Amino acid sequence: MTTATASEARFVAWLSEHGGIIHKIARAYAVRSVDQAELVQEIRLQLWRSLSAFRAESKASTWIYRVSLNTAMTWRRDMATRMRRIEPGADLAQVPANVATPADTADEGEMLARLYAAIHAVADFDRALVLLMLDGLSYREIGEVTGLTENHVGVALTRARRRLGELMKGITDELE
Amino acid sequence: MNWNDYEAVWKRQELPRGADADLAELRQTFETKSRKMAKSLLLRDVLEASAGVFVTLAAARIWWRLGATGWPIAMAMALTMGVTAIFLRERVRAHRLRLSADAPLLAKLDADIAEVRHQRHLLLNIWKWYLSPLSAAIVIVCLTIARHRPYVDWVFLNSYFGFCVLLFCWVWALNRRVVHKQLDPRLAELEKLRSDLLAP
Repeated sequence: MTTATASEARFVAWLSEHGGIIHKIARAYAVRSVDQAELVQEIRLQLWRSLSAFRAESKASTWIYRVSLNTAMTWRRDMATRMRRIEPGADLAQVPANVATPADTADEGEMLARLYAAIHAVADFDRALVLLMLDGLSYREIGEVTGLTENHVGVALTRARRRLGELMKGITDELE
Repeated sequence: MNWNDYEAVWKRQELPRGADADLAELRQTFETKSRKMAKSLLLRDVLEASAGVFVTLAAARIWWRLGATGWPIAMAMALTMGVTAIFLRERVRAHRLRLSADAPLLAKLDADIAEVRHQRHLLLNIWKWYLSPLSAAIVIVCLTIARHRPYVDWVFLNSYFGFCVLLFCWVWALNRRVVHKQLDPRLAELEKLRSDLLAP
């Protein structure tokens, strides 16, 4: 098997195993579905481009998180500069207006939509931390992705979780 | 609702597994984008370098026509080539310092901050490295030519200098505007992001 074919096989296997990561990150960093599709494609492209740089010093999923989050943050900044249409807090308006059921009885789709709306409203870096935490990464793994020390990950996550909780409460109150 | 509920909902969400990725299309997009980017970078570098080379060659031709007494034009050529060299050095520097996409987020953020600060410094000091050498080169060439003419049309010469001064002032103002409208907000945003992140 040639090196190029081996790379392609590895890439396909990774996409099949960890493709969900890309979709979650795209949904967290882009609001409109057309932008999400563009970001998914951009992340895949960046992963493909960076594949030769993978040194197996970390897990494949950690590496994918790093490339995907860097790409998403850069994409979002470029997009904001180009169109000035992504503003902090503006995404709260994306929550469906007819969602009026209390949080504990709302179905999972609605709850997930609220969760994404809250995630859209936190700052870029906190958003990355929340995503990694929700995906169940350990402090050490989050540290590998972000470059923060484990202690700092703990501090930053406490803050991000509190902020997300406030936003979730705000959204639920607003809809009730 | 608490964090555990969020986690549970998050983990149960249905997502495509990535099987919809068309590898052939991805490869083609990658190759097209890479070719396009390489072409535009080459074009930009060639244009920037060739502008300096063109002006230097034009100055060399004037020097050749004026003979040995046109030697001050050599200084103008050196200044123009100096500006070209700075452009090329910046290209090499940007390429050398660019972090790969798999760098940790904090390292990428730090690199972005350093790059914006550097760009800001360059634009705010455009007089020093771009406008002053080019102004000096223009003055040297014009005065050297004037010295070799039996009659000097000072009105024309002063009008030309005036036009250059206005043009350079406009370039200077344009760059300051870019700094204040684009780079300063971007730098503030990145620095806030960093300080929020590292706050105890």
